[in-house]
Amino acid sequence: MSALKRVQQWATFARIWHIYDATWQNPFKSAEVVKKFLMGLYKPIYHPLNDCGDHVIIINSGEIALPGDEWKKRVYFHHTGYPGGASWTLAWELHTKDPTMILKKAIYNSMDGNLQRRHTMQRLHIFPDANVPKSLLDNVSNQIRQLRPVPTRLDRYTAEEVASYPKLIDYPKDYIIR
Amino acid sequence: MLCRQTLNLTSRIINQNLIPIQFINSRNIKRWVSPTIKEINRRRKKVGPDPIKPRYSYLEWNYDVELYCFGKRVGETFKDNFLREALVQREYANVEEFRAEKEGNESYVPEESNTQLASEGHKIIYNYIGEVYLKSYPQDVTTAIQNYLTSDKLLGHVAKYLGLTDLVKSVEYPPETKTLADAFKAIVAALESSSGLERAQLFVKDFVIVQMNGKDVYDIWTPERPFDYLMKLLEEKGIKEVEPRLCNQSAVNTILANYQVGLYNKADKKLLGIGWGESVKIAKDTAALDAIQKIYCKHNSN
Amino acid sequence: MSNSHLFLKPAFITTPGQNGVGRYFCQLQRVVLKFCKNNGSSRGMREFIENKLIDFVKETPEVAVYMKPRRHRTPIIRAEYLNGDTQWVNARNFTEDEILKWLQLLKTQSSDKTGIRLRKLLHTDHPSVQGPWTPYTFRDPKLNLAEFPSPELAGPHVVETTATEELLEMYKNQQIEDVNEKRAE
Repeated sequence: MSALKRVQQWATFARIWHIYDATWQNPFKSAEVVKKFLMGLYKPIYHPLNDCGDHVIIINSGEIALPGDEWKKRVYFHHTGYPGGASWTLAWELHTKDPTMILKKAIYNSMDGNLQRRHTMQRLHIFPDANVPKSLLDNVSNQIRQLRPVPTRLDRYTAEEVASYPKLIDYPKDYIIR
Repeated sequence: MLCRQTLNLTSRIINQNLIPIQFINSRNIKRWVSPTIKEINRRRKKVGPDPIKPRYSYLEWNYDVELYCFGKRVGETFKDNFLREALVQREYANVEEFRAEKEGNESYVPEESNTQLASEGHKIIYNYIGEVYLKSYPQDVTTAIQNYLTSDKLLGHVAKYLGLTDLVKSVEYPPETKTLADAFKAIVAALESSSGLERAQLFVKDFVIVQMNGKDVYDIWTPERPFDYLMKLLEEKGIKEVEPRLCNQSAVNTILANYQVGLYNKADKKLLGIGWGESVKIAKDTAALDAIQKIYCKHNSN
Repeated sequence: MSNSHLFLKPAFITTPGQNGVGRYFCQLQRVVLKFCKNNGSSRGMREFIENKLIDFVKETPEVAVYMKPRRHRTPIIRAEYLNGDTQWVNARNFTEDEILKWLQLLKTQSSDKTGIRLRKLLHTDHPSVQGPWTPYTFRDPKLNLAEFPSPELAGPHVVETTATEELLEMYKNQQIEDVNEKRAE
């Protein structure tokens, strides 16, 4: 094999590092997107026996948004294996214990349960906030777009912005805001 | 034939005679069958595989017919004495002569070996390949291709697929790659003496140069320092400065790091070649290789 | 459905020694016809030798044909190819036409093809004209200058404007109109 063909192969199978901001994103819908990059499904060379998956760094996993009343109703089940070892943890409980866990489990469950799944998960790096080590951040060469735009929270607007914002109606002078 | 072979094998096995096999005549379950077969199989394994028998030792073998068929197969007409001489290995000729001397056979006519023809054939092949490739490639590339195409390994392969394995008269069987390659070279020389240089060159083209089909010239020839080589090439074309640019990179802090480097002409900002590699230096060198290929490619298409 | 094909040896299409690129040469180098002179199972073979063998040999001078009579044995066609393969064909009770057909098949083959399953029916040295894909093939060069994570690259591609944005736009237009009116006065 000539030197050119060797590096051609090297380039085709080059690992790309992606970054994904999970702020205000639905973790279960995001899992479907992130999974495609983790497994390399977006590549034309994809084949199940082909080791072409990429790395994904997810930041701000502590800021995820669950739809509806899922924080209260979603339950994570665990069994220690001993009699009476079953435990049920609510999503909000799990999130307070480990803010990366919900996203990790969502991505893990979005993939088929084959032997490759645990190896694919090794390429996923989740951080609860935006503090990613410099050495990892240097690898990144692509950003995955979020599913929904992140609105600015009302308390994050400055006083000037609020004052200059156009008003549709004026309350009557005797109107009492509770 | 088959019968004789089986008998030979049986005698070889039984002659070992390690355990006497006893036959008992009685109308019972034949308890001797299984142990006998087992023992025979065991001895068969111990004796090992049969030695390969040369094809000429078979009963159905006619050397004259085989030579005639060979000529027809390659579609050439040979003078009989040249073709016969081309297929005689030097060691074989010597061994036969010694044997005749030992036996006191005075009517033995010593066979000519193909040494002379092989060296002539080598020259024809080597020169013709040079003639063909110098039209489109520089001297150093041509030399690499000439050496590759006249190597024993490649010519032996060609000779094998022309059926020379059975035709060559050699001491060893199956003949070694070098013997086959020499026979092939000698056949080219024999063809030159029989039908002229033009036919011989056509023969070389159809059987040797054709081996380059599906192969890349750059698999065979690679300059040691591609970037310096490129700069020398570009100077001849009037391009003095080259600007290497890092076009893409990924996973730089891991062992799977990959860089893409493009070489641009500094004057008109046009891409000369692009390459990849696990480090910037390797990527730069492969980009230079790519540029060299592009230059020769352009040169050949004009 | 049968699974018999699973036990066949998988193979790809190949051409031995670039045959046919320069000139074509027959890959069958010799054939041995083994037959009995009086057994009935060799009758077709004997008729073939009497009537058709000479024509066959004239047609294909590149194949060496040997005949080998043996007593009271089944007729056999033994073919030897240039790549070293040998193929036996049991020609018991074959008619002369059948034998000719078998010989034609052996002549046009490049090796013993029995027990082989082709994994693909086509082969190419150049699967792509543009060259193989790499992750950089369709990459936006703008990404080279981006600093990750970048807020511009984070949000989704939104094509539709929201109601809020539309309202803001209307408000802006209104302001401009007001200013224009004031100037007109």
